[in-house]
Amino acid sequence: MTDRDEGVATRLRDVVFSYDREASLPDPNETDSDATDSAGRDAAVLRGVDLDVPTGSFTVIMGASGGGKSTLLRTLNGLIPDFITGSFAGEVEVLGRDATATRVSELATDVGMVLQDYESQLFGTSVTAEVAFGPENLAVPPAAIDDRIDDALALAGLSDLDRRREPAALSGGQKQRLVFAGVAAMRPDLLVLDEPTSDLDPSGTRRLLSAVGRLAGGRLDRVDAVDQPETVAPDDDDRTADAVAWAGPETVVMVTHKIEEALLADHAILLEDGRVSRAGPAREVFTDTAALRASRVAIPPLVAAFDEAGVPTADLPLTPAEAVDVAAAHGLSWTPPAYIGDDGPATEASATSVPAETGETLGDPCFELENVVFAYETDRGPKRAVDEVSLTIRTGEVVALVGHNGSGKTTLAKHLNGLHAPDAGHVRYDGREVTDYSMSAIGRDVGYVFQNPDHQLFADTVREEVEFGPQNFGISGEALDQRVSQALETVELTELADADPFALSRGQRQRVALAGILATDPAVIVFDEPTTGLDATQRDRFMRLVAELNRTTGLTVVAITHSMETVARYAPRTVVLEDGQVAYDGSTRRLFADRDRLDAHALQPPHVVDASNRLAAARDLPNALPALSVTELAAGLGGGDA
Amino acid sequence: MSATSLYVDRASPIHRLDPRSTLALVTALFVAGYTFDDPRYAAVPLTVAFLALVAVGGWRNFRRLSPIVAALFVVGLVVWPAFTQPGGRVLLDLGPITLSQREVLFALGRSERIAVFVVGGLLFVTTTSNEELVRGMRQLGVPYAFCFAVGTALRLFPTFLEAATTVKQAQEARGLDLTEGGVIARLRRSVPLLVPVFMTAFRNVNTQSMALEARGFDTRSERSFYGSSPLAARDWVVVVVAFIVVVAVVGLRLAGFGTL
Repeated sequence: MTDRDEGVATRLRDVVFSYDREASLPDPNETDSDATDSAGRDAAVLRGVDLDVPTGSFTVIMGASGGGKSTLLRTLNGLIPDFITGSFAGEVEVLGRDATATRVSELATDVGMVLQDYESQLFGTSVTAEVAFGPENLAVPPAAIDDRIDDALALAGLSDLDRRREPAALSGGQKQRLVFAGVAAMRPDLLVLDEPTSDLDPSGTRRLLSAVGRLAGGRLDRVDAVDQPETVAPDDDDRTADAVAWAGPETVVMVTHKIEEALLADHAILLEDGRVSRAGPAREVFTDTAALRASRVAIPPLVAAFDEAGVPTADLPLTPAEAVDVAAAHGLSWTPPAYIGDDGPATEASATSVPAETGETLGDPCFELENVVFAYETDRGPKRAVDEVSLTIRTGEVVALVGHNGSGKTTLAKHLNGLHAPDAGHVRYDGREVTDYSMSAIGRDVGYVFQNPDHQLFADTVREEVEFGPQNFGISGEALDQRVSQALETVELTELADADPFALSRGQRQRVALAGILATDPAVIVFDEPTTGLDATQRDRFMRLVAELNRTTGLTVVAITHSMETVARYAPRTVVLEDGQVAYDGSTRRLFADRDRLDAHALQPPHVVDASNRLAAARDLPNALPALSVTELAAGLGGGDA
Repeated sequence: MSATSLYVDRASPIHRLDPRSTLALVTALFVAGYTFDDPRYAAVPLTVAFLALVAVGGWRNFRRLSPIVAALFVVGLVVWPAFTQPGGRVLLDLGPITLSQREVLFALGRSERIAVFVVGGLLFVTTTSNEELVRGMRQLGVPYAFCFAVGTALRLFPTFLEAATTVKQAQEARGLDLTEGGVIARLRRSVPLLVPVFMTAFRNVNTQSMALEARGFDTRSERSFYGSSPLAARDWVVVVVAFIVVVAVVGLRLAGFGTL
């Protein structure tokens, strides 16, 4: 044990990297880091990284979007400098080997890596073949691969999946977990994960993270916070020696933007301007609000709330369970923001009950959906992706559309701007059938932001890209310039207006796509996972902007999202889809107050909500409604402005 | 079960065959189709291939390609007569253009010949998954790098089509109208469609090659094949039958059967 705790799985010294082959690399010891080239990729991404990942740790790496996190991970299995050419300097030692001088495929024996873009990491034509691929490459005897497949799928929570299914036909979340299973089947000593839950629904995230936690050796007590019912013991029945011999990777390194999932780690590293700005035990790093802010990492919501309530830094809670104890220890009494009864009837979203004050003034019905049915053709006959959905969305409303991966959210949303026409039922916009509008007429009113920005970027510069939509709708001259500039400013891309969109990072590309829709000045925006790939600051800024547009211009917003934090803060009304049907439609606060309902829909409430529910339970307040934001939580604890 | 992939996951007798035996079977069909000029003879392997395809659940695949097969026969009727001598009864007389019985039979035979390749090929891809194909090729001694490239190309194609659909939707949602204007205008407007499709493909290939290496893929070193097994008795039976068919077909042809 001591050997394990004191060892270092990965050691980086003075690592400098630029994607430009002819870049003049900055001096890693020069601390003045102002030499950043705004075009992003020309400048060095890593500017002198020194870090140690302790053996046996679950280490999380966080930092701003485009700040070099993915690049850093790629040095851990030799992709940099072996595979990606650029300018590299420095030392990388991984599991005792010099990673800069080892081939990627050789390191793959010990280092398992799940990259960000899961779509292009699937190689098989069936679930089985997909998981077998890695072990095959390691020349594992076919007889031993069976057990590995069983274990890996169980770990990823995919045991129930029909193994003959084609990976391409799975939902995004299932694909993402399948990639994880494919890497886990290789049984690495060091497991490296680059945003492994970016497209997972809350229950998928929970399963994957509890698997990661379990793999990290069960040393993490905090994993219990997410590790709920469906715990799958990977070695609970007869296994060959090969299976039992593997107790998970010794060390896990994960990059994520989701602060609540980062709290599961025991060691944290913050990146800022291509350097490590803070590293240490997770508790220390995540309560260091100044360091978090500087690295543009979200402050853990409970840390922020209890800090505001006046709790000293050393006692700040990281998890909802801790929050109850800390509140008791510091004599903080919980006052709920509202009770059932004073927020209107349960079926209606109460506008005033949402912290961001979105969707306050509701106008006429904007969308009316009536028994909408939409089916996909499959080999085994048609499958209903949307099954008798009826909804009314009013002008000025902010509605969150949540549900499992594959529950039909995207399919339903595509009816709102005519990308899909219902097989049966009606979809009306402004009183007229959507199918009666021309594509450009409906497109002008209803902006749709797709999940993957790469499916729409084509222009030579960011500015041209953003101009495309408004130009198609006949806007030109000064009006166009103004809209484009405003949109670029909103997403913080003004400085990159002349950059090539393809050279930007994923988060930046996402913002370009968003700006492209904002510039068309739509009456309604439909977002499909609006905040994937954005860091905390950008996400906050972006959602606040959407909320502001909603308040000031009456913008109607329909947001498909897995981020329960976003739902809680900005959407007064939530629609839960299950198997293409509406399983819940009503007030977000009511939904989050109802533990049984959340469990039934496999939704994980955000920490703020969970903590206030627990605080209410501790005070025995059965009719209490939970806080939906840090400010509300702090106010209820007697801190902040309240 | 993606709508774009041709492999149909069933448990038919042909699906259960080793990919090498399926290949032998299809090869025998190809040889039989290719050997005879007489459409009445070539119709036999075509019918066999077609019935087998339907039996293994490939009707949907056939329907997808049926316009091509139909076009094959129609165009063939115009083109093929140029490659043979007129003979027999004149079936069609349009002044300068005449079509004799021999010409029609010849055209029919040639079209059937190509149709055997289409339907036989469909039978193969309907019953053989990518992995089986790669494994089968590898077991026949083809270098693994090449096998993998073939498998990847087949796999990427559906992904490519799906991406193209999404790109089209994304740009339409941004007001791109592809229905109006002349040829030049339309071509110009196809840029917002083509660039994302190719860039996405390029990016995918890039990530994919990284991911491949990260999963220990290396064409130079040893690897194992999950699910590979020696030829079973039924596989041998099929191989032997295929061999007999080939010999019989060649023998018949040499004996003068099936010519025009």
